[in-house]
Amino acid sequence: MIKTERILHLRRFRGRKVRVVREHYLRERVPCFSSLCQADCANGVKVLPGDLTHYVMPDADVVVDYLEILELKELQGIIFTQTACQALHSKGRRFYNRLRSLVKDPRFHCVQFANEFQQYSFCPREKGESQEKWQTRCVYSAAVWYYNHLAGMMNVVMITEDEEAVAQYSSLHSGVYVVTVQDYLQNFWPDLQAAQELYASISQALEEREAEDSQREFPEHLPAEVMEAGIKSGRYIQGTLSVNKHRAQSEALVQTEGSSSQAMDLSSGVLVHGGKNRNRAVHGDVVVVELLPRSEWRGRATLLTEGQGDDRSPDDGQEKPMPTVKPIPVEKSADMQRCTAEKCGHDQGRVVGVLQRNWRDYVVTFPSRDASQSQSRSCQRVLTVPWDRRIPKIRISTQQAEALQDHRVVVRLDSWESTSLYPNGHSVKVLGRAGELETEVQTILVENCIHVPPFSEAQMKEMPLSSPEKPWRVDPAEVARRRDLRDSHLVFSIDPLGCEDVDDTLSVRSLAGGTLLELGVHIADVTHFVPEGSLTDLEARTRATTYYLADRRYDMLPAVLSADLCSLLGGVDRYAMSVLWELDAGSLAVRRVWFGRTVIRSSYQLHYELAQALLNGEEVRVPELERFCPEEKDLKLAQLIQALEMLTRVSRHLRLQRDRGGALELEGVEVRAQLDKDKNITALVPRQPLEVHETVAECMIYANHWVARKIQESFPNRALLRRHPPPRLELFSQLVDTAKAMGFSVDTRTNKALADSLDRAVDPQDPMVNRLLRMMATRAMSQALYFSTGSQPQDQYYHYGLALDRYTHFTSPIRRYADMVVHRLLTAALELEQGAGPAGILATNRELEELAQHINNKNWTAQRAQSASTGLFQCLFFRDRDPQTDLRCVADAIIYAIRDNGVLVFVPEYGIKGPVYLRNKEGQVVSAEAGGSCKWQGGKVRRYPSYITTTTAGGCSATFRLMSHITVRISVRSSSCHSDTLVLEVISNQPHRGSGPPASQGHRQLVQEVVRLAESAQQTAAPTHKLSRQERDFLQSRTPNLYSILEEIRELALMDLDALSQASEQTVLTVPDPLP
Amino acid sequence: MAGLELLSDQGYRLDGRKATELRKVQARMGVFAQADGSAYLEQGNTKALAVVYGPHEIRGARSRALHDRAIINCQYSMATFSTAERKRRPHGDRKSTEMSLHLKQTFEAAVLTQLYPRSQIDIYVKILQSDGGNYSVCVNAATLAVIDAGIPMRDYVCACTVGFVDETSLADLCYAEESGGVSSLALALLPRGGQIALVQMDARLHQDHLDTLIEAAMTACKGVSKVLDQVVRQHLQEGSTLRE
Repeated sequence: MIKTERILHLRRFRGRKVRVVREHYLRERVPCFSSLCQADCANGVKVLPGDLTHYVMPDADVVVDYLEILELKELQGIIFTQTACQALHSKGRRFYNRLRSLVKDPRFHCVQFANEFQQYSFCPREKGESQEKWQTRCVYSAAVWYYNHLAGMMNVVMITEDEEAVAQYSSLHSGVYVVTVQDYLQNFWPDLQAAQELYASISQALEEREAEDSQREFPEHLPAEVMEAGIKSGRYIQGTLSVNKHRAQSEALVQTEGSSSQAMDLSSGVLVHGGKNRNRAVHGDVVVVELLPRSEWRGRATLLTEGQGDDRSPDDGQEKPMPTVKPIPVEKSADMQRCTAEKCGHDQGRVVGVLQRNWRDYVVTFPSRDASQSQSRSCQRVLTVPWDRRIPKIRISTQQAEALQDHRVVVRLDSWESTSLYPNGHSVKVLGRAGELETEVQTILVENCIHVPPFSEAQMKEMPLSSPEKPWRVDPAEVARRRDLRDSHLVFSIDPLGCEDVDDTLSVRSLAGGTLLELGVHIADVTHFVPEGSLTDLEARTRATTYYLADRRYDMLPAVLSADLCSLLGGVDRYAMSVLWELDAGSLAVRRVWFGRTVIRSSYQLHYELAQALLNGEEVRVPELERFCPEEKDLKLAQLIQALEMLTRVSRHLRLQRDRGGALELEGVEVRAQLDKDKNITALVPRQPLEVHETVAECMIYANHWVARKIQESFPNRALLRRHPPPRLELFSQLVDTAKAMGFSVDTRTNKALADSLDRAVDPQDPMVNRLLRMMATRAMSQALYFSTGSQPQDQYYHYGLALDRYTHFTSPIRRYADMVVHRLLTAALELEQGAGPAGILATNRELEELAQHINNKNWTAQRAQSASTGLFQCLFFRDRDPQTDLRCVADAIIYAIRDNGVLVFVPEYGIKGPVYLRNKEGQVVSAEAGGSCKWQGGKVRRYPSYITTTTAGGCSATFRLMSHITVRISVRSSSCHSDTLVLEVISNQPHRGSGPPASQGHRQLVQEVVRLAESAQQTAAPTHKLSRQERDFLQSRTPNLYSILEEIRELALMDLDALSQASEQTVLTVPDPLP
Repeated sequence: MAGLELLSDQGYRLDGRKATELRKVQARMGVFAQADGSAYLEQGNTKALAVVYGPHEIRGARSRALHDRAIINCQYSMATFSTAERKRRPHGDRKSTEMSLHLKQTFEAAVLTQLYPRSQIDIYVKILQSDGGNYSVCVNAATLAVIDAGIPMRDYVCACTVGFVDETSLADLCYAEESGGVSSLALALLPRGGQIALVQMDARLHQDHLDTLIEAAMTACKGVSKVLDQVVRQHLQEGSTLRE
């Protein structure tokens, strides 16, 4: 090592300049990370491939400004120099971390080279040399070193934005080329349209930024040191800014760090009022706020705090009476102060600085031409409206404004100067025309940060081969290591009909002459095929879950695993992870538990209805038994039925045990997802509740529980469990009030009390009442979370909903990454037990906690995307119907909450929740006539705890009670920039008497009809080039998906031909013209 | 807030060293003729001068004398020009008093004081340039000066600071690292026997990591001792060749 010194001039915080001398050690051997290396560098696992035409080395300013282009997967062989990385580091931590993860990710072919520590590539900065020039020189000398180090076997291209550098260096060395970014992209990647577009849009944004005028619109942000000192001294408060969705212009809440763990906490945090006070902070940023003196506080709209149902339509603020804005008086006594603070809820403040921008990709809509007329200053700058209402309008510089009218475009924010009213951004990708199905679905994905590219070739190469001609077989050596259950156990699976990814199977048998029962749960052994750290594992970790949208799904694992090798299909040998309990046949107490890897062969692939029919003793055909002769068939059938009965008995017992502990049974999509059994879109359909559903779910919960115990005992500090924190009692107030109005009392103190009182709250006339109450209870619950045991005290492990002290997810590794982690933990625990140290290095508590956070976040985004796509399909369904004439737009609805000027209703047929207004903007109210039909007249609305009455000027009055049925008309309010919303309008205060299709079919029909419409629209309109490109980019599991084909065949089989032809006629008629 | 990255993903520290590498150590013994022993030591950019007087009779109050061993008197000071900004440093400020005390404790453990009852040994150390690890540089310089003075010691005393970042221990911290929020630990070791003369740590550290950190510090100290040994041997060689 050679010691040199580096002299830096640093500017201290008070503005004084200080000369600092730092040591700088150089060494000869710095790894080059190239597979062509001749000098035996200590390269790690990730090396640049040797079969590229060239390596590219971007200059520091290229990395700083055009990192996004370098992030494209298509660009390979990128060498990031240390010089460039440090330049990026000084721009911001966030960008630097992006680069770091890029370099770490084995899916991208890029490496980092520590050029400044290499003896021969380092060049000290000369006197009077500017930093930029020096950086360029450093990068160039690194490029030369690389070329020489690889003995001239690989050309190195240095890309820079500095024209002088191109002129100066380009002809110095034969193998080292120096070109500008534009030339590089044009010459080396002429096919990569995306990169060139990105380049054009970024460089335009950069130019614009330079030519900014200097009129100040916002106060400057404070420097970081001042903010940090202020936070420490308590003068400022740090928190995450979240903008109120319904009043995006005026209200934003800064949630402080402590309260962010309880996101439902409404009474903490600082309110930031108005755009000036928000000072350029965007939703999601970590900001620093200063409290305003009380004299400057603005009153909050009182209506809002009352009406904060999360299902309010965003525009309803305008239809309500103008909020009364009262200045809050200056307080006199502490008592009074507390009182008012409780009433208004929040301190108020203003943003003084941003600690961390959390900008993501946003979807915006380009305005159509007549709307953009106001942009007269220059036609190249367009003010675009983000899809998310919480995001301010974004200014984009583009020359394609004309072509992009009414298109949805993905943009990224670049900067928000204090001189500008709006942030600057640049476009990244065009999604398509607003209103088209594909565009809208992609919009939902982008807005929820879901990125699901098709599985890459390298990932597919890791997969074992399996084809119809040459099916995959178990490896005898592997079988020898596992416990073989193929002959000893009767294993079967129960799943929804047509399910193709079977990840759980069951077995039950009696042992020791009937004194013992052996219950077994066998889960697909996914981790056998997906070793930790492989590309597939990384991809699965990034996705964290399989995404189910209303019409499609995006798998977490490649189809060869999820639908074939890991799917425990009937009649084939499969690897499994098993939990076997030995239970006492009489008392059903657990005697012994065995965990381990096994080989199984599922004998029967049952579906729920079939299993229930067998249990009920009905005469049904089991497909697996068709080939046997009658006597054998009867024997086998008897065995199967006996097993099913045994299983039912055990699970009844388990359920009872949990019920005693206080397990809840709740209605609603959210909770059903917890039951571990829904794999398909059918899950959205309110299904026939069969006992066998519960049986299977109970076994799965039991397995999860025991695995949780096992891994928690083996790894007390680093096991991945799932907890469900108890809900905050205040949130139950709506439920309690509603129930009281109906004459039921709901006790919410413990989960047992809640479960019992919910069981009692049954209206014999109307089963929907109980369902709605349970739904409201669900909404008050907190979310269940994954966590690492080391980061929580043990009393926090409790799962409130299931009433278990420890719980985890183990049973669905095909569609949840958490289960894969748990499988690995369980394997490690077993290895530990056998005395062998764990094979791999286990994640530490901190890593695991980070992973748990990531999975939690992904689960929430998946849920949001799912509900957004459901909403989208509802809107698309009703968009093409005329609400006045189409019968399907009229439906029955139940009132479940009362507001000042309307009611909130639930439409069971379509699963829609929404507000119904009883007073409109003109002050007219709904009045009922004889027979129940309603119309608008001038009048007043009065609200009571359990009902709401409207009185017209003419003296007619109408009353709407809680939980009563009314008839509503559904229509769509379309919006060009945001998602469409459904509008519910009361047309009668009597229940709807139309004999519509049963509730379960409404939803399914809706999705399929919309998909069919969109498809035929594409066919008739001869899809444009752009659309088909997007299909290639995004559509991962569209038509080739076996599942959807099966579903379609099933649908066809159900329909009779007449109806079919009718339907297709209708389709053609209602196809919207796709051309503008 | 773009804080410094103390350890890059590829394992380089700010100045290009790896986690276990020491700074360059250079030293000379016998730089002054007037004193009984003296040494100059550079560890990276931290430079210290150590001077030893004694053993001699107790100066000042006779009552301080111990009947069975020598007392060790240490004084630590920093030059006004030792940091990036010139700063007057009065004698006896809290920091240097503490440092003096630490030095005293260290050398009481190493010097065979019972050979010199009722006498005194003075060790004066001055930091000429400060770039992190002042204590350890002082100890290392003073060891050489004590050896130069011909005072018998149990072993070399070698000191080194180590820090803990991202689950890795960094040896021999420089100033940028010390001030960059690393929890640092200073350790003085008698390398041959592996006895610890002094451990000092002010920062918070999880108990689980303490053992690895001390292990790293001991390894680093042993590295320093090798260099010091070389310096001493070379010095002796030079001395003996001159005499011949």
